[in-house]
Amino acid sequence: MLFDSPVLHALILGLVICSALMGVTSYFIWFERRFAGRMQGRIGPEHVGFKGLLQPIADAFKLLIKEDITPRNADRVLFNLAPLLAVFVALLTLAVLPLASGLVIADLDVGVLFFLAAGAMTVVPTWMAGWGSNNKYALIGGMRAIAQSVAYGVPLVLAALVPVILAGSMNLSEIVAAQAGGHWFAFWPPGPGFLGGILFVLASLAEGNRIPFDIPEAESELVSGISTEYTGMKFGLFYLGEYVHSLVGAALFTTLFLGGFDGPGPDVLALQLFWFLLKTSVVSVLLLWVRWTYVRLRSDQLMTLCWKYLLPSGLGVVVLAAMWVWFSQEAPA
Amino acid sequence: MNALALTPPIAPRANPYLDIESYEGQGDLMVLNMGPQHPSTHGVLRLKLWLDGEVVVKAVPYLGYLHRGVEKLLEKLTYVQSTPIVDKNDYVSSMTNELALVMAFEKLEGCEIPRRARYIRTICAEMQRVASHLLWLGTFALDMGGALGGGTTAFMYCLRERERILDLFEELSGARFHYHMMQVGGVRHDLPAGWDAHLKRVAADISARIPEYEHMLSENVIFRARTRGVGRIDKLLAQELGLSGPNIRACGIDHDLRRSQPYAAYDEIEVRPALATEGDVYARYQVRLAEMRESLRIALALIDGVPAGPIMGRKPIETVNAVKPPAGEAYVAIDSPRGELGAWVVSDGSTKPYRCKLRPPSYHALSALPYLLPGVTIPDVVVILGSLDPIMGEADR
Amino acid sequence: MSLYMPLWDALRTTIRNLGRKPITAMHPFEPRTRAPRYRQTFALLHEENGDEACIGCKKCEKVCPSEVIVVNAAKRESTVTGKKRGFADDFTLDLQACIVCELCVQVCPVDAIVMCRVPNEPGFVREDLFLTMKRLYANETLPHAPAIGSTMIASHAQGPAAAPAASPAPEPSA
Repeated sequence: MLFDSPVLHALILGLVICSALMGVTSYFIWFERRFAGRMQGRIGPEHVGFKGLLQPIADAFKLLIKEDITPRNADRVLFNLAPLLAVFVALLTLAVLPLASGLVIADLDVGVLFFLAAGAMTVVPTWMAGWGSNNKYALIGGMRAIAQSVAYGVPLVLAALVPVILAGSMNLSEIVAAQAGGHWFAFWPPGPGFLGGILFVLASLAEGNRIPFDIPEAESELVSGISTEYTGMKFGLFYLGEYVHSLVGAALFTTLFLGGFDGPGPDVLALQLFWFLLKTSVVSVLLLWVRWTYVRLRSDQLMTLCWKYLLPSGLGVVVLAAMWVWFSQEAPA
Repeated sequence: MNALALTPPIAPRANPYLDIESYEGQGDLMVLNMGPQHPSTHGVLRLKLWLDGEVVVKAVPYLGYLHRGVEKLLEKLTYVQSTPIVDKNDYVSSMTNELALVMAFEKLEGCEIPRRARYIRTICAEMQRVASHLLWLGTFALDMGGALGGGTTAFMYCLRERERILDLFEELSGARFHYHMMQVGGVRHDLPAGWDAHLKRVAADISARIPEYEHMLSENVIFRARTRGVGRIDKLLAQELGLSGPNIRACGIDHDLRRSQPYAAYDEIEVRPALATEGDVYARYQVRLAEMRESLRIALALIDGVPAGPIMGRKPIETVNAVKPPAGEAYVAIDSPRGELGAWVVSDGSTKPYRCKLRPPSYHALSALPYLLPGVTIPDVVVILGSLDPIMGEADR
Repeated sequence: MSLYMPLWDALRTTIRNLGRKPITAMHPFEPRTRAPRYRQTFALLHEENGDEACIGCKKCEKVCPSEVIVVNAAKRESTVTGKKRGFADDFTLDLQACIVCELCVQVCPVDAIVMCRVPNEPGFVREDLFLTMKRLYANETLPHAPAIGSTMIASHAQGPAAAPAASPAPEPSA
């Protein structure tokens, strides 16, 4: 608690963390472009600033000065509100993430429930964009997004239940505390944590519309999917929202399965923050690697994967986690 | 040609002339225009799709957005001037366009091509086939994986290899895309010194990289799920539509013009067929990948034995009216990377052709779309269209 | 497991390319070496005695499929040899419509026009793409391979190392 009043604490810390996250996301985009470029045998941005470091600023400026077009028969409220909501919902999940011990905006006792609910809300701005654009391509993209988000919400919840069961609490700080000392849930107990982690990664890729699950914005089929009719900074906000969502998803994975800010060394705030950021970065880079390697799944194959494979696996993983907790409690203390 | 024996179709054929007014779908049908401007229509193709949810009920392709009046233009230009014009038809594999047209002119004139020129033509045609299939593979992966993802990576790899081949052609002819390499009677440029060593290096490098594409694509479970069983063309339909090239070889019909009507130096080398049996998208992919390997093998086999001699079999072309074949008509068909590319030329004895008709394989491949698309979802539309390898410049001329 | 190994193979392929040198050509910061026969822009040449090589025969104008060349021919006395011969009073080439087919180079009987392997400076107005006679003669200093066509096929076949000057003596074709 930085200040006595939780509201002030939340406001100030929230402002700081959100601003920092926006900056980090822009430079994460720079890193992705260079990383993807090297994987493809080319260099990424190079000339705008030293090694292209000013490229995100140039891109943001370019998007700001572009003409802001609203289609004539578009639903104005939905159309204009959707990009704002996209970024808002992506940032909302940040409220319960513990970056270091005590460094959390709102230490809710139902933290997991909160972030699952906020994550499920991401379908609302996507659908608003799809419907409000008055464009058939956007409509198809929006429909697919709803189907995908609703479907993959279920394995996401089930996978997120595993650390809840293993830690015995929905408070994210307590989940991190339960993994202290290197007993990260992804590796200990062996089995439910690892599988749950994989499920969580797949489900959060799908919730975030990342390849190989990016059919709502499938560029080769639907021009630009839900963001077809958006220009200028509104498109920039969608783009930014997607990246924020993926970074926050990586951060959540770190918190739930990789021990959050736990790491060797003394319990210093700065060191804990460093471990958290390092783990999140590693997870993000792995997700980038996956993104730039695979082609996307077809929409019905995606749904088949979810309902026929991920959902039963999720149920199985929850049962495994519960059995582990029950048996480890049965052992004499 | 007993390979053309007719077999019954695999499944009930879709009706391309479906009466859409009387169709009972689950709800209202949505008409979607995968319009001329689209990231994945391989040029400017307009596909009018009637969709029931996400499933296509009827598809009608509209061509003509890239029609440039090439055949009319060829009536106005002389025989000498027409070769650089047809380069621009199938802009991905330019040498084959020129080859077909020039061979038709030679058939009209009756001139003999020296052996060295025939070898150079064959090597160029085969390397051009590799370059064309590499571009196809890259754009195919792009169609499936999107511009921000794994598709782009495969695209960059394929184009990286294609650039090596274009460097080779740059050394030979001076241009990277529209080579203007063939002329009536032979070829225009002779092999420069060190070209054969360059070719061997390039061929070895590309052969070593093809397994990388297989890792990224063919063995990948996501790719296989997207392409197996999709867009199946049965043998009867393929023959009725006049498909050729990799599209028909993937249906199991062993039809290769390089063996049945050998031209250039193909009578001196054995062309092994690349065949598949299922006729779906994955089969077409496999056939093209195998053809890449085969073309590299042919080019390597021929480059060492290029005979010395002239590269031109008639008097040199030094004026615009240098070619004046006698009256008559000639049809020559070659096996271009897309299929049977034919050129039919009618001459009236003057220095300008009376009529040139080019038979583009992409046009006939696109005619399969109204049969293949009903019943598939939108992602499959893009995949099927990509697998037929249409080039609109050629289909529209 | 055989379902997942190819997925891992794909990842390995992509990561392997991280270690390879990127193939980007840092144009225009690094010079790009092109093949000797690469064709980009045009040059009109002078003969060895300093006279303009072009004799104003208009064969290039007739052969061009895009009709981009316009030649105004005249017969004058040469200032170098003193003999009366054909000249081109004005020779313009519109690069906007040129399809870079090299037919003009092929038909020129005296190899006066060649294609150079470096481009013209990029321009900002349409006039920059219109090659006047002055610019064509100024391009003579740009590197170019020998002209193809009947006069030069023999030396062309020997490879890229050849003299850039035009030689007016025709040889029987190879």
